[in-house]
Amino acid sequence: MAALGAILLLAPASCARRPAEETGLAVLFSFQDLETEFWVAAHRVITTALKEKGIQVIEQNAHQDANRQLEQVRAAISQDVDGIIIIPQDGESALTIIGEANEAGIPIAVFNRPPADRSRPAVVVVADNARIAEQAVEHLADEAARLGRKARPLILVGDLGDPNSIDRRKGFYRVVDRRRDMFHDPVEVPTKWDANTALSNLEAALQADPDVDLIFTSSDFMYPQIRAVLEPLGRWKKKGEPGHVILGGLDGDLGACRLMKEGYVDATGVQDLFFEAESVLSGLLEAIEKGEKTPERWTEDPGFALTQANIAQRELDMWGCRLASQAGR
Amino acid sequence: MRTALRKLFPLVMRHSSWILLAVIIAAFSLHSSRFFEWESALNIAKQASYLGIVATGMTLVLLTAGIDLSVGSNMYLSAVVGGWLLSEAGAPLPAALAGCLGVGLLFGLFNAVAVTRLGILPFVVTLATLVAGRGLGLWITQSQPVSFPDAVLEIGSARLFGALPLPIAIFALVAMAAHVFLTRTQTGRQLYAVGRDLEAARRAGIPTRRIRALAYVACGGLAALGGFIAVAQYGNVNAGFGKNCELSAITAAVLGGTSLFGGTGSVLPGTVLGVILIQAVTTGLVSARIDLYLQDLILPAIIFAIVLLDSIRARLRGPSRTLRRRA
Repeated sequence: MAALGAILLLAPASCARRPAEETGLAVLFSFQDLETEFWVAAHRVITTALKEKGIQVIEQNAHQDANRQLEQVRAAISQDVDGIIIIPQDGESALTIIGEANEAGIPIAVFNRPPADRSRPAVVVVADNARIAEQAVEHLADEAARLGRKARPLILVGDLGDPNSIDRRKGFYRVVDRRRDMFHDPVEVPTKWDANTALSNLEAALQADPDVDLIFTSSDFMYPQIRAVLEPLGRWKKKGEPGHVILGGLDGDLGACRLMKEGYVDATGVQDLFFEAESVLSGLLEAIEKGEKTPERWTEDPGFALTQANIAQRELDMWGCRLASQAGR
Repeated sequence: MRTALRKLFPLVMRHSSWILLAVIIAAFSLHSSRFFEWESALNIAKQASYLGIVATGMTLVLLTAGIDLSVGSNMYLSAVVGGWLLSEAGAPLPAALAGCLGVGLLFGLFNAVAVTRLGILPFVVTLATLVAGRGLGLWITQSQPVSFPDAVLEIGSARLFGALPLPIAIFALVAMAAHVFLTRTQTGRQLYAVGRDLEAARRAGIPTRRIRALAYVACGGLAALGGFIAVAQYGNVNAGFGKNCELSAITAAVLGGTSLFGGTGSVLPGTVLGVILIQAVTTGLVSARIDLYLQDLILPAIIFAIVLLDSIRARLRGPSRTLRRRA
């Protein structure tokens, strides 16, 4: 009995379908987790937009479990949903899930994390992480050039199994390799997207290489850890203050917005959350409307870098700043 | 020569974990001279402190032949409540800390009641509370990060007598208290007896339910304390906080010689050594700038080597208790 209780707790919730108020459409939205501000904001934007269109949203949290997400999709298919949106755990599981939806003839859209390849048709909207990282790091490199000597860069790398993390690292290296003459060998710090791991490894890295001049974090959520390591070393300084470490990241969340305004962060690569959400919704709904069972559209969000040079003009293009502004923060 | 080797071999095996730690320090120091510095040692101990506190609680549970898979969720939920008390309810820091520890103890009490009163398997109970605890925390925060005031950060960066980082001092206190409890008190010795053979312990008049419950409650409280120490270092809790910490805590305890079958193990030096070993390897890999993809292979390989040495050591001592039990 107890074992049954635990299994029920862990199993995907049933996808009991009820008619939507207006359109009669039901869409499954299965997301890998809600652990960063980006995922939380994306979840809110997508579900709100669907509900406003009178579409019933069946929300499922996969809790970073690819198998559980597959089961959620299978359950939704058996309930004959009209469309599926997923934020997959990884590229390979995305392909498997797309295959299931294709076989069932239900249009599927993939948000922000690309499938491993394009062998199976889907509406895919992803950020060009390498390009966005490159734009942000390019600005950091310009700042480093002003030091008048070779700079030591450091990158906080995300999970090596996450294609977004790999692309961000790629973007970082594109700049570092292109401007080799102005950089020492970069220091790589693994984080596995975990706050404690990031703190521990960054502290170890700065212990071994205290002369780091530039830090690029693959996700904005790790700024508190960067601050915790730099502050005791007397290096948590605003731009223009002596000892300032050139700092940049990628995502564009509320914390990064605040730190940009305060002057601690020099540049942030921004994913255009609103564009991505709108593209995924319009792509899926168009397919449902036209009766397409296996639509194929691939949209890339080019993103941009919000820097200390353009923040006055482009602040509200960054989703974190816009959400902060809406919340009156 | 052969006689000398025969004498040396058991000695080496008996102290294999220490020798391995020395080898690891020497190897990484060759790669990066800064690894051998005092500040580096302090850094390793500081980063190991929060996991060490959680692993100390886990050791108590493992000694009773139980397991607590919910410590990571407990860390998250108790930290969320502590943060809420500070930022939303305006509670003073000591009250928020008490609230945080209170949630951890209650979490442990729930596990204890389910295991000892309702007779549900520890694995099943704590697997359920792992899911439910994080779910409750996410419901409270709506997945938003919780920020702590600077006063909390000051605890994480404070140094006792201007030298010893406070997280290390707290870890040392916890480890010593657990060591004294396990080796110098009747209840501590009863914990081993319960883990070795529950039925025999019951027949011997040991209050087995109370002893097992105590282990789970203590584990819950220490998970909350460990979580608070982690938060105090960077002042922020996101939705993934504490995830997979249960596995690291179990690994540290087992590396330190604690048996998953109960009744064998220690906090000092056992679990403390285990947690320092893990942190030393992790720090060393980063300091030596080992390729990121190789890092994920080297740490498990070292853990495997330690467990292998331990099993050889156990075999040299004679048939293990587990094997005897199976026979």
